[in-house]
Amino acid sequence: MASPNDSGDWQGRYYHIDQILDTPGPRTDEAFMAGDGVKNFLRNEAKILVIGAGGLGCEILANLALTGFKDIHVIDMDTIDISNLNRQFLFRPKDVGRPKATVAAEFIMKRVPGVKVTPYFGKIQDKDDDYYMQFNLVICGLDSVEARRWINATLVNLVDPENPESLKPLIDGGTEGFKGQARVILPTITSCYECSLDMLNKPTAFPICTIANTPRLPEHCIEWASVLEWPRVHGDKKMDTDDPDHISWLYGVAAARAKEFKIEGVTWSLTQGVVKNIIPAIASTNAIIAAACCNEAFKIATSSAAYLNNYFMLIGTDGVYSYTFEHEKRDDCPVCGGEALDMAISSEMTVEEFIEMLIEKQDIQIKKPSLSTPIKQIYLQAPPQLEEVTRPNLSKKVSELVDAGGEVTVTATTLPFSLSLRIQFT
Amino acid sequence: MHDSQDIEAATTATVNEGRPDDKTRRYDRQLRLWAATGQAALENARLLVISGSATSASILKNLVLPGVGHFTILDHNEVTPEDAGNNFFLEGPSSLGKSRAEEVVRLLCELNDGVEGKADTGDVAEVLEKNPGYFGNFTLVIAHNLQATLLDKLAALLWSDPTYPILAVVNSTGFLAEFSLQFHEHTIIESHSETAPSLRIDKAFPSLLEYATSLDFSNMDSMEHSHIPYVVILIRALEDWKKEHDGKPPQTYDEKKDFKAKLLGMKMKADEENFDEAEAQAYRCWTETKVPSDITPLFDDPQLETLSPTSSPFFHLLYALKQFAAQPPHVLPLSSTLPDMKASTAAYIHLQKLYKERAAEEKKTFKGFLQVPVDDDLVDSFVKNAHGLKVLKGRKWGSLDQSPEVLVEKLSAYPRETSTHLAISALRASSVKHQNAKPTAEKLTSEAQALLPAGTELPEEFANAVGELVRAPTADLPNTAAFLGGIVAQEVIKMITKQYIPIDGCCVIDLIETWTGTI
Repeated sequence: MASPNDSGDWQGRYYHIDQILDTPGPRTDEAFMAGDGVKNFLRNEAKILVIGAGGLGCEILANLALTGFKDIHVIDMDTIDISNLNRQFLFRPKDVGRPKATVAAEFIMKRVPGVKVTPYFGKIQDKDDDYYMQFNLVICGLDSVEARRWINATLVNLVDPENPESLKPLIDGGTEGFKGQARVILPTITSCYECSLDMLNKPTAFPICTIANTPRLPEHCIEWASVLEWPRVHGDKKMDTDDPDHISWLYGVAAARAKEFKIEGVTWSLTQGVVKNIIPAIASTNAIIAAACCNEAFKIATSSAAYLNNYFMLIGTDGVYSYTFEHEKRDDCPVCGGEALDMAISSEMTVEEFIEMLIEKQDIQIKKPSLSTPIKQIYLQAPPQLEEVTRPNLSKKVSELVDAGGEVTVTATTLPFSLSLRIQFT
Repeated sequence: MHDSQDIEAATTATVNEGRPDDKTRRYDRQLRLWAATGQAALENARLLVISGSATSASILKNLVLPGVGHFTILDHNEVTPEDAGNNFFLEGPSSLGKSRAEEVVRLLCELNDGVEGKADTGDVAEVLEKNPGYFGNFTLVIAHNLQATLLDKLAALLWSDPTYPILAVVNSTGFLAEFSLQFHEHTIIESHSETAPSLRIDKAFPSLLEYATSLDFSNMDSMEHSHIPYVVILIRALEDWKKEHDGKPPQTYDEKKDFKAKLLGMKMKADEENFDEAEAQAYRCWTETKVPSDITPLFDDPQLETLSPTSSPFFHLLYALKQFAAQPPHVLPLSSTLPDMKASTAAYIHLQKLYKERAAEEKKTFKGFLQVPVDDDLVDSFVKNAHGLKVLKGRKWGSLDQSPEVLVEKLSAYPRETSTHLAISALRASSVKHQNAKPTAEKLTSEAQALLPAGTELPEEFANAVGELVRAPTADLPNTAAFLGGIVAQEVIKMITKQYIPIDGCCVIDLIETWTGTI
């Protein structure tokens, strides 16, 4: 009977994977070094970072460990909630409340001998360039656009043309219900996350006047409770959408308003869904997308087969529909493009209107932008003193402050980069 | 306006109402997809999975987590060092030599204590031989990489009676895989169609027409005028138009343009968004509401001619739908769902009431066509989802490979999918004939040729697929297993819940170029 050796391996352990690593296939690149070389790199040298230990992260960690990655790091800032247990299969009811990264790492090391998983319970923004530089690959299983933009920009900025090691392939997965996508990003070489921002669905936002004056849907009543009534009644007390008492309060207030306006359909579950912006999530979709991501990581790390170029999209509601395509790099991408983004606006547009327009734009997605030109500050959101000084500019026309063809630099705390716009007037 | 005291009072009354229990909280993210009805169907399902392979365990994981009722793994093998290396539901070397079924069941059951799991260490060959009734205990049977002769036997057995379980056949080798579902017929009410039902703007029912034409637009204050729902604006504008055009809606491009201009001309102020919405929805005035083209063919189902009290409620409902649609104005029963639109609360709620009342009347008419009593919730769901009904007619597993002409057609229409399918079929046939011998490209090519008409040329895609199978003929790769685990579980959930639409055909997967396709 086989018994484990020092590295935790046993005879036959990699029987399945070694069939791939010992022989090239018809579509394998010539550079593939079949046999011990590639196995040694995968099992003893490759260092991989997993961002997110949630629905996708649990799956990703298990797949990586089984395919032979032995040095895995994982970052997650969340703790385990009972609603995670229908899909985050490394967690048990007894783990509720503990950090996801820690529990996931412990479980993988217990289940798959010889694999080292280093957890970090915290934010990706806590780590600096040196930290990210140590990895060969990064896989993301995140549910936040902001975090994805941050890691994407960070890895693009890390690229030093003189040092090939500084190019870290980024594999990104995402799911929603029966739908999902996986993609491979080679920072500065292929289309990056920022290049494809306009592919995201616009989040549903209800106009404040509808919420305040003409509610029609149960969602309008819930938004009224959370956006207007909570601060009015509770003052500075912060609403915690994970606190069932808070949800119950919102539900009660929303239900009362719905009754007043004869609107049907306010439920506890809908209240929670609206205020937490809950996205349906199931184990099966996460499994598909995580597998696609890990398969790309395996192919990139081993060269045993060509990797995805560069986007795989899956829709599982009507049969199994998928679409694999090359998402094009944007020359005017604010992160990887290098060229300023051209923007034509009316010469009558005020700075305030211009800021509103930027917030609305799907390919920019910015919350509180500050604007400046190379020679002057147009409007700064912070600090308060500068905000006050620049506030009078809000009512001025952009054309009074910027020359035609001039550059405007846009910054925001949520953006890990600054955006250059070249302004033309119509 | 309420003062805060009133709100507080209302709040105390409802504070604990509707608060979900632990089970609902655990399943919250999936209940938002398939609701309590889907969950109940899942919890009543009994699955049989043949083999405790890495792929089988991956599929089961995604069914145990959402809470399937029962699963049995049928596998007489012991855990080998190879199994311990690629199956997450084995505990590495400490599982060696133990029953694979028992180990995998034990570790899967840790995921959800609401699920009953059973290990059966019997040999599938023996069960098929001596106890074919065994399979009747299950809702659905999943077979992964089952040896070809046993698979043929199992598929034939399960096909022999329409009441026998659905069969999911899964085959994978290295980076390549395929799977298909064998069922006789699958009917779906809740297809979760993304097309919305008609609002009947072009065929406004009497109370709606009466409401739309009775409003005095010109004497409204600006607040009221800017909150007339677009549905009302369109019906009103269409009536006015028809009076001037022999009772016909806008037909030519110019007329449509003209009609849209008229809509915008009705504005009192330039910023009235409700009229902009009306312009954007103007197509509803000249798109005739009728029975959707996907639904009409369902009325030709021969089962509607031979209904008996024991026929499935679905076909009784379909029969009633056919009768309903045969009456003027030849439409499906009205759905009471009204999309959101710029409107005052009062106008919107009134409109919603008109739709609801009419929907209730039409439902009553619809029920009048039913020949047997049907549960009212089911009637509601059927009427609400009538525009997205589906009836899938399945095929016997393996029938594609028995039709050389169809294969040739598919090969030219979908070369990469069909080539990969052929290569996998060839490997399965070859491994029966040459057990233990490593397959070669030549052998597999001649097996594939045997399925096709003489002289059929195989495309480059076939050489690519066969090359991969020869490279790794017995590899159950963790990533491929996980991918299949997700995709097969998803189809199983759709079959069991009878929600969403499952695959119709054979789904082929290539994880080198990362694509899937259905042939």
